[in-house]
Amino acid sequence: MRKIEISPITRLEGHGKIAIFLDDAGNVDDAFFQTVEFRGFEKFLQGMPMEEVPRTVSTVCGVCRGVHFTASMKASDGVFGVTPPPAGRKLRELFFNAHYVEDHSVILYALGLPDFVVGPESNPAERNVVGLINAVGKEVGRDVLRRRGLAVKIFELLGGKPNHPVAAVPGGWSKQLCEDERKQIEEWSKELVGLGELTLKVFDDVVLKNDKYMELVTGDMYRVEVGYMGSVDEQERITYYDGTQKIIDSDGKLVGTFKGKEYLDFISERVQPWTYLKFPYQKKIGPWKGIVEGPGTNIYAVGPLARMNIVKGMDTPLAQLHFEKFHATFGAKPVHNVLAYHWARAIELLNAAEKCLQLSRDPEITSKDIWNKPTSCPGEGVGVIEAPRGTLIHHYCTDGKGIVTDANLIVATTHNNAPINLAVKKAAKHFIKNGDVSPAMLNYVEMAFRPYDLCLACATHTVTGGQSPLLVEIFDANGALYKTLKNF
Amino acid sequence: MDTQCVVVGIGNPYLQDDRAGVVVIERLEQENLACRTEVVYTVGFEVMDKIRGCERAIIVDACMLGNEPGSILEVGVDDIFSTHALINSHAITLGTTLKTGYLCFPEEMPADIRILLIEVKEIKEFTQQMSPEVEAAVEIVVERIKSLIAGKVAAG
Repeated sequence: MRKIEISPITRLEGHGKIAIFLDDAGNVDDAFFQTVEFRGFEKFLQGMPMEEVPRTVSTVCGVCRGVHFTASMKASDGVFGVTPPPAGRKLRELFFNAHYVEDHSVILYALGLPDFVVGPESNPAERNVVGLINAVGKEVGRDVLRRRGLAVKIFELLGGKPNHPVAAVPGGWSKQLCEDERKQIEEWSKELVGLGELTLKVFDDVVLKNDKYMELVTGDMYRVEVGYMGSVDEQERITYYDGTQKIIDSDGKLVGTFKGKEYLDFISERVQPWTYLKFPYQKKIGPWKGIVEGPGTNIYAVGPLARMNIVKGMDTPLAQLHFEKFHATFGAKPVHNVLAYHWARAIELLNAAEKCLQLSRDPEITSKDIWNKPTSCPGEGVGVIEAPRGTLIHHYCTDGKGIVTDANLIVATTHNNAPINLAVKKAAKHFIKNGDVSPAMLNYVEMAFRPYDLCLACATHTVTGGQSPLLVEIFDANGALYKTLKNF
Repeated sequence: MDTQCVVVGIGNPYLQDDRAGVVVIERLEQENLACRTEVVYTVGFEVMDKIRGCERAIIVDACMLGNEPGSILEVGVDDIFSTHALINSHAITLGTTLKTGYLCFPEEMPADIRILLIEVKEIKEFTQQMSPEVEAAVEIVVERIKSLIAGKVAAG
């Protein structure tokens, strides 16, 4: 058996590698996505006052700063037994939707779209955001970056500090919005809606009108049949900040719904010896069945595509039109096509921008009543949110003084661990035949995990060795290295 | 164009030697220097946003390039954009961020930019304790930046 390794995988958060095993004929026998780092952030939080946790966990990752902040902030409400007043909640939602816009726009333009705009078989040196800007034109690049910067300004204005927010308090929000600031956010939000529309037009022009790309988007090589989980509001529409978690199986049938701590009744985590990342599965469907797809599987996925599959619609008008076009294109629901994550992400970008505009026009958003002061400390809290890359669960236990005694964080990439493995294996089987492992073929394999918007970082941003962005090692049937490929 | 000089420290304040850039800024802020200081925990487009509009920028970040721990490197934008995918644990590398800025906003990006990298020893655990080698390098970088700001070292 021969072994191919892509390590480290390019353009995602954190460090991981893909190992592909070939049979004697040079076809793919198996493939694994491995996480080779362990950070242990939960241990670091023990002994910390709960009210300080949100601004601390915002450093778990430089990209996901708003999501860990928001999930832990919601958990702190539970720890202190208090819920925010309507204006406090709306400020949190406005902040979170602005974060969605900036996060989704970076992920799309810097990570997802270069494969399509520049081309999946193009020179790797050009298949990145700089290559994308060169392809679409500097004016478009400037416009996207400028508008995205407005989302960051909303995030910072509300969050109280550049980059990493500090405005969370148990039971509300510490920074009131004045009328001038509201007007400014309203103007910025109009531009964000324009960014959402522009992004969907780019996706339409580049991907949907390209027959070759649509073969990839709708093809079996990027199709993984699993269940899905995400948040819905009372009308089963999409929601990011707060809702009820809804789970469907791979056929689209309802498995169940839960809130908060009830996640323990639905989700179990399986440990495998070859990776630090656990494998969550839906235990209501049955005991661990392995990393398998198809009817009966208890593997599930989260994130933009999962949300498109579990909701009945969007809660904003423009995004709803694109939601309908999305499902009309694929026909059957749930949609299992992994590359559809990119389209779903673009629809959510528009939806979040529309939400920002709606919330900025809400008369209650400038209310002074933004904080319900805690008067007790029940000691346990769970915060569940829909992060841009999928469901994020923060669970904290504290002592009677609100000092953290135990913490558990289940992040989107963990939920998606098994589907990512399935996607990589399926793409590898399709694209690597008879030992053909050219860099172009391997990018098609990498395209299978990029839609999941992986985030393995847990915070480090250190500049690392740039000399080996993509390393492929091929081992013969005896385990001896007989060929090395690299694109640097 | 803002004539101001800006010093940007990049790092995770809770992650061992990765916090070097943040500590440099904390030390500089104790001095009364004629420059703006910024701390960012990420090398995303935020770095570009922080330096746009300034004539001069100094960026301090940790690095892991196989040098002796505590080594200090002064590099240019092209040095850290030497390959398409200088692997970095963030979605966008510092080189990509800066290159994108010079591509899209050439008139707003600093004419004078210096990037100081400090080679790390340990970045595997969450702690606010840096290694002695990086701690010593931080002091050297602080003095270097003070000299640069004071004009003791010729620009360019």
